[in-house]
Amino acid sequence: MSRARRACSIGAAALLLLGLRMPPVKGALEATMTAQMLLLMPLLFVAGALLRAALPARIVPRSAAWDYRGITGLVLASVASVFWLLPRLLDSAVSQPAVDAARYVSIPLLIGLPFSVSWPRASFIVRGVFLLECVATLFRMGWLYLIWPHRLCNNYLLDDQQRLGQYLVLIGLAACIAIAAKLLWGRFDALAEAPPRASAQH
Amino acid sequence: MSALHPDNETLTRGEGLVLNLYVISALAVVVVMMLFGLIMRMAQGTWINVPPDIFYQLMTAHGAGMVGTVGLASSAVMWFFLRKYVRLHVAMFAANYVLFMLGALAILAAVFIGGYAGGWTFLYPLPVHSMGVWSVNSAALFMVGYLLIGVGFLVFYLDAMLAIIRSYGNLGRGLGLQWLFGGDLDKTHPPAVVASSMVVIVNSLGILGGAIVLVMCLINAYVPSLALNALLVKNLIYFFGHVFINASIYMAVIAVYELLPRFSGRLWTVSRPFLWAWALTTVMVLIVYPHHLLMDYVMPHWMLVMGQIISYTSGLPVFVVTAYGALANVYRSGIRWSVPAQLAMLSMFGWAAGIVPAIIDGTISVNQVMHNTQWVPGHFHFYLLLGVLPMVLALMFHLIDARRPAGGAVLRLGLPLYLLGGLIFVGAFLAAGHVSAPRRYAAHLPQWVPYDQVGSIGAILVIVAVLLFATYIIVGLLGAPGNATAHAAR
Repeated sequence: MSRARRACSIGAAALLLLGLRMPPVKGALEATMTAQMLLLMPLLFVAGALLRAALPARIVPRSAAWDYRGITGLVLASVASVFWLLPRLLDSAVSQPAVDAARYVSIPLLIGLPFSVSWPRASFIVRGVFLLECVATLFRMGWLYLIWPHRLCNNYLLDDQQRLGQYLVLIGLAACIAIAAKLLWGRFDALAEAPPRASAQH
Repeated sequence: MSALHPDNETLTRGEGLVLNLYVISALAVVVVMMLFGLIMRMAQGTWINVPPDIFYQLMTAHGAGMVGTVGLASSAVMWFFLRKYVRLHVAMFAANYVLFMLGALAILAAVFIGGYAGGWTFLYPLPVHSMGVWSVNSAALFMVGYLLIGVGFLVFYLDAMLAIIRSYGNLGRGLGLQWLFGGDLDKTHPPAVVASSMVVIVNSLGILGGAIVLVMCLINAYVPSLALNALLVKNLIYFFGHVFINASIYMAVIAVYELLPRFSGRLWTVSRPFLWAWALTTVMVLIVYPHHLLMDYVMPHWMLVMGQIISYTSGLPVFVVTAYGALANVYRSGIRWSVPAQLAMLSMFGWAAGIVPAIIDGTISVNQVMHNTQWVPGHFHFYLLLGVLPMVLALMFHLIDARRPAGGAVLRLGLPLYLLGGLIFVGAFLAAGHVSAPRRYAAHLPQWVPYDQVGSIGAILVIVAVLLFATYIIVGLLGAPGNATAHAAR
């Protein structure tokens, strides 16, 4: 990665993190449960992914030894994500400064950054298992939010919770269709190899 | 033979070892599960006394075990033939086996140690409302077993996807979609690749459905206050269950495409109708499952109508092109009727006849009175016992055919015994369904008992035949020098 591109990535990450801390932005993104989960958290994830450029050049290759095919990093990102899917943490992040700080640190560093380092290393099979589990989790969380009869957060109302559930199911559906379409009709130039065995024998 | 059906089926030592594990494990489990089935039929027939709680445990293990094992054995068929055209990784094939065995252990422990007896369908809320017969932990362990098996199959399918994409560009091209409406059809495109492409698409979606509903049921097991929508759970369970068992025959049918041409001496080439059939079935397999829910009057009306219509059409395209293809392939070909060829043709009969009761039951007005009777086990035993299992056995005999003389006395006795026993066994189920004998009942009224007794006799004949087959195959696999390292096609 060129120095300029690296500086750009780091600058963009810093700006994004700072921007998300700005009271009007933070307030708007925490105003609803839907915005917090579907906008604020993904943006923190993006900031973490951009921080990959800040890693010293020798660190990334060295980390490959304990990140076989990206599995370690993706498992770390998955486990950390599970915590931030819990409504209690969503709620506490709004009202407790310590949890709020943990959110701003852990999502970029424990989810976005490991994901951006490990995803390029991941094989097709690892990516497939990860994506299927992600899509399944979107459906499960959406289902849970839709059917939970009570408010799960003090800061958010029931209709917001159910709206989030609907959006998660819709996002899961869209992801499912997109992945299926890619597999059926997409281009996979990076995976291409010699012609099929049988045809090659003609 | 030709580039379309390459001769070279050489297995490395590692591949041979894993394939042997699949074959031997599948045969062993099938025999044990058949014995469970026999015990149930004899108990219903009042020949032996089995307490109801044990009966339902056996029924649960039999259902889950047979569905899973047929899936495992069919995946071996797909792997064995698909690897000739694309580069599969034996490690992923082995991973599927290991995860399957772990899942099977969890299921068996849940059933026979934990006492879980809620059926393979784990229909909500039965697993968590056992009236004290089994614990929530047992039900959860059963579901965890399914999850492990699902992950194993997912890994196997992803490896197949990767291999097909690498060789053909994407799954659509593997399925031959580019030739549906025109273009210069490549007749050397292997049917095995078409079938495998279809299977990896539909069963990955099936596994996704299973992964969602199993985890939701697990959450409900430990947070009972979170009530699930029973109808949605049932929809998802039957979506994944139906796709999984359907995918089994679509994996196993590859044996027919690959083996019949060897004995008939004629190629099995793809055609536009063949590709259309597989493309249509890819879609229909995913939307046909509501025919399992025709008695659920709260289902959306359009889904019930769709379930009926698609039931009539779902399996037909692939079946028609396969059965027609098989008949055309052998007609006046001077085919050498070796055991794999006989089994391949038997499977065409089992498939054809086995889907007829399903199509009848897929009619809503019939379904209202037939669905909870033994008519339905009659259908799926027909389809699995005389359709899918012969396809799988065809591969197994093919594996040892190079090493042992085909058609020994054992097989001359075994095949007719298998067919006769199978027909008696499924005939008893269908006849009992016809007189409204209910399914999933541990105890039967006296007027139903004769059917159970006839069914038991059929089951005994089938088990004897399968024991003969299993012994012959296992001895063949283990006894040959350098077993499973190489066998050439004839």
